[in-house]
Amino acid sequence: MSDIEPIAVVLKFGFLAVLYLFLFWVTRTALRELRGTASPGLDTGYHEVVGSKSSSPDAWLVVVKAKGLKRGERYDLFGGLSIGRSDEAEIRISDKFSSGLHARLYSRAGSWIVQDLDSTNGTMLNGDELQGESEVLDGDVIEIGDTKFRIELG
Amino acid sequence: MSARSRELFGLVPVAILVTAGFTAVFIVESAQLGGTSLFYGAYFLALCVAAHLIIRWRLPDADPFLFPLVALLAAFGLVMIYRMNADLARDQANWFVLGLIAFSATIIFLRDYHVLERYRYVIASAGIALLLLPRVPGIGAITNDAYLSIQLGPITFQPTEIAKLCIVIFLASYLREKREVLVVGARRIMGVTLPPLKHLGPLLVVWGIAMLMLIFIRDLGSSLMFFGVFLALIYVATARISFVIIGLGLFLLGAWFFASTVGHVGERFDIWLNPFADASGAGYQISQSLFAQADGGLFGQGLGSSLLELPQVSADCAEQFPSCGAILPAPHTDFVYSVIVNELGLFGGAAVILIYLMIAARGFKTALLANDGFSKLLATGLTAVFALQAFVIIGGVTRVIPLTGVTLPLISYGGSSIIANMILFALLLMISDDARRHARTQQGGDLV
Repeated sequence: MSDIEPIAVVLKFGFLAVLYLFLFWVTRTALRELRGTASPGLDTGYHEVVGSKSSSPDAWLVVVKAKGLKRGERYDLFGGLSIGRSDEAEIRISDKFSSGLHARLYSRAGSWIVQDLDSTNGTMLNGDELQGESEVLDGDVIEIGDTKFRIELG
Repeated sequence: MSARSRELFGLVPVAILVTAGFTAVFIVESAQLGGTSLFYGAYFLALCVAAHLIIRWRLPDADPFLFPLVALLAAFGLVMIYRMNADLARDQANWFVLGLIAFSATIIFLRDYHVLERYRYVIASAGIALLLLPRVPGIGAITNDAYLSIQLGPITFQPTEIAKLCIVIFLASYLREKREVLVVGARRIMGVTLPPLKHLGPLLVVWGIAMLMLIFIRDLGSSLMFFGVFLALIYVATARISFVIIGLGLFLLGAWFFASTVGHVGERFDIWLNPFADASGAGYQISQSLFAQADGGLFGQGLGSSLLELPQVSADCAEQFPSCGAILPAPHTDFVYSVIVNELGLFGGAAVILIYLMIAARGFKTALLANDGFSKLLATGLTAVFALQAFVIIGGVTRVIPLTGVTLPLISYGGSSIIANMILFALLLMISDDARRHARTQQGGDLV
């Protein structure tokens, strides 16, 4: 046993040394990567929820024509909004062509995006069918079935 | 160096560690230097390289550090379990192979993990059913007073391990849809932001489930783990710390209530607060765990050198020690961390915690990079449940929190734990591949 003990001690410290060298290598490479990419890749709205410093301009959704909503009513877009027929939507429209959760508006990197939430009948942006999502600008018109909204940017 | 080459490079030190670990244990046990440990190291490396090739084939952009870190934990486990019992180590190695098969199968057959979102209620029901299985008479088995495993013939199986995946998938897809309503409808009452009342319902349901688990499964650890994941996801989904504080308060309230009314839970608390009051009885496990760790010192006793069983077991030892002959009970499952600290000292124990922290960091980094809400929440949830499980058991054996019986992920002996965690990492790598491929094509740069 006694002649084998030095090897056991060497192995123990060797084990710890290799372990820490490996962890050091991972940390160093990961740290370099962290410095390299300062901003998280794509913005999904998760990095600037309500309360955080968002660089997006103030924006409102103005009712042009909607059953159950007053014409000219303005909704602050701050923090994003969802439009649809169900209770879960923040702006509820009683439009029979609308899906439960039809579309949503959210901000990303300083601009406002309208996104169709896989609705059955689709969303129109300035008269064209919206494919997935698109940036909205001041005065843009969003149509869902018979319902019409206008975007106002501050 | 490309991401995949980095990963392959990272597997080399892991293989060296397996070899060195087995050699050290061999020397202490048989006082001779053999070539067998080289064989074990090569075998382990071959298995990992096979999994690496599958990642290279299907997920070329996935995070390069996750897999080597996971392999390192598994290697740690194999060495420690071999050191206690060679037969168990052989079983564990077989479980690891099965885990790698489950890992590969998930990557190959689940082409797009987004489909999981569509089956959320099926997955949630499966998860809850799995959690309740140990209470079904006939197949349920009691381990340490808690209903955690089921016994089907010769196979013991811990359904909580698979259930945690189901619950995380469900919560991620549910909160992906509800996060906006939770945020927008919130109102401030006396300086505290409260979620809208009608959406408070689901939160209370989850809280109720966590409390029910505390009663039915009698396990504070799993209950803390599940509720912790839920709070982590709520926080990521809504960015409101008040929801977390309210949730944590409710949990502590419930835990305190059960600690004072349910005998079993209360006993656990007493042992936690005063482990040495009954050091040879109820507090035996935790006291021995603390002694073993203190005995390790800075660099430990050396691999294979810690004393786990009394050298001479007398016939009446059961009167003196609750678990006859064993100094540290359950060394291969709950107390594996104490054995690691005993043999490798503070530095070895800190290294294990560092590995878990690094895995958590890579997981959250994946969540940051992910492209859609479901991926972000899923990556966060999977990482959180893994890290919390490590926290619950390491915290338990170091007496930071009351001791409960969950496995130390990927290190402890146990088939269901290894398989569930390998599936967890398969999912995490799939999310990572998706996210980093987008980032690479968008920025045109080379991500590490």
